[in-house]
Amino acid sequence: MSSAFESIISQIVSDTPSGEVKEVYQDLITIAGENSKDVIIEAIEQYNVKNTIPVDVNGKNVILSPYNKEGSKFFDPAQAIEFSVDHLNRKGLDVAPFQGSKLNETQQEYLKELNKYVEKDFTGQVSVAVYPVPQEESKTAIIIVSTKYNPGNFWNGAWKSEYVYDSHLKQLKGFIDVQVHYYEDGNVGFKSKKDVEITDSESPIKSIQQVETSFENDLDVSFTELNEKQFKQLRRRLPITRSRVNWGKAIGNYRLGRDAAQGKPPQA
Amino acid sequence: MSSEQSFDAALDLLRRLDPNRLEEHLQNLIQLEPSLAEDLLSSVDTPLQVKKDPKSSHREYLCCDYNRDIDSHRSPWSNVYFPELSAEDLKESPFPSESLRELEVLANDSFDIYRDLYYEGGISSVYLWELDEENPQDYAGVVLFKKGDQSLSNWDSIHVVEATHSGQDVTYRLTSTIILYLDKAKQMTLSGNLTRQTEKKATIPAEGNAEHRHVAEVTNLGTLVEDVEIQMRTMLESVYFEKTRDIFHETKNSVVSVEGQNKEAHQEIIKGIQGM
Repeated sequence: MSSAFESIISQIVSDTPSGEVKEVYQDLITIAGENSKDVIIEAIEQYNVKNTIPVDVNGKNVILSPYNKEGSKFFDPAQAIEFSVDHLNRKGLDVAPFQGSKLNETQQEYLKELNKYVEKDFTGQVSVAVYPVPQEESKTAIIIVSTKYNPGNFWNGAWKSEYVYDSHLKQLKGFIDVQVHYYEDGNVGFKSKKDVEITDSESPIKSIQQVETSFENDLDVSFTELNEKQFKQLRRRLPITRSRVNWGKAIGNYRLGRDAAQGKPPQA
Repeated sequence: MSSEQSFDAALDLLRRLDPNRLEEHLQNLIQLEPSLAEDLLSSVDTPLQVKKDPKSSHREYLCCDYNRDIDSHRSPWSNVYFPELSAEDLKESPFPSESLRELEVLANDSFDIYRDLYYEGGISSVYLWELDEENPQDYAGVVLFKKGDQSLSNWDSIHVVEATHSGQDVTYRLTSTIILYLDKAKQMTLSGNLTRQTEKKATIPAEGNAEHRHVAEVTNLGTLVEDVEIQMRTMLESVYFEKTRDIFHETKNSVVSVEGQNKEAHQEIIKGIQGM
């Protein structure tokens, strides 16, 4: 396999909406053949870690991320387990006890608070993670993923927010990333991303709740503004005359009318 | 794998991947499977390119696969390909027949007025070509509109039409794609395309000279394009601003949860009253 081939596969996979990886996999196999399977699966693994995709481990969702990856395996410090992953089907396999990473008391508290917050404010299939950051004792990774997939009605939506909280510096740093894909009779995408940095955060979950609520409210305002300003300026609903165009031989009269209104002589 | 299956898979991919990076992914797919190039390039609508016509006061015109020959595009204003082609190449270049060119000029003039009335700016272009030599009345064409600045908001309309005649009756088959891009200062983007197919029957008077028939033809086509654009604008508005917002709130909605809590509280009160 050439590296140009791998790079194309990776570009396509990395651009896939979060609920449509299996369909994209199937399309790529159809175009590039069964022998490209390993390259595609490799790209999907990178995609899953980068996009903090939750996988089903014995009926419970565990978020994949660089923070809970060790070699080819992943672990969940909250449940003290490790597992390998079927990346295409988003399933955990070979689950085994694991003591290599644990949540301290404060982190367990974060997890409780986080669960309470998402239960109240998130409407999709929601997964959360609180992971210690390896080698950095004061840092904790906090991740929220909420998805709603409805391929039967040609749409999928995904919310993802990911932060690192430094308990020494009281600093919360991360981002919110939302995507909506609507593909009935076309292909429409909505994307929004916001970087977050809060420097005097005593309670990371409270800060996250505040920043995410204001992000949500801002988005609602932006939708309205985009509609009322940019969209309306592109094309009118009806001409200024409020009636449909009078097609036919006399259509040129519109031009005469406008030129007269602007004081121009009639054109030949 | 048959090439038809690969083609369908490629179209499915382009319906799923970021519509904002359509051209990039189109090139990626062609690199993966070069035999798909021609079919993909002729069936996937990409944002329209703009060129200037040096023979018509540098007036702008729109470019797509339908007015392209080699790397040049025919201008609807002067009927000349730019960059200009060699005499040798021009022998093979497609041009509409004399009568069809007359219809094309009238259509360009009429749709230019339509563009001004609805878009209050922007660019329009219409290109026509013969469908089949045995029925010189039949033709196909594309009606194009573009409005916007590419960076914050952009609208491209692409209406591909086939007009087939049977006596006085004409059947118009229209495939319309609108590519709409909206960007709010990098905070959010709404982008993509919607396609719709329409078929309509109309008549052309049997009597009258060529000019009368041309006016009737453009009236039919214009009315059809206007109807479809009005419907599609409504559809775009509802998909872009209502549907995507609703789907977003299917993942997060702090307001609904507050309402949910109020409802719960309300039910508690009712229970309390009923229990009294």
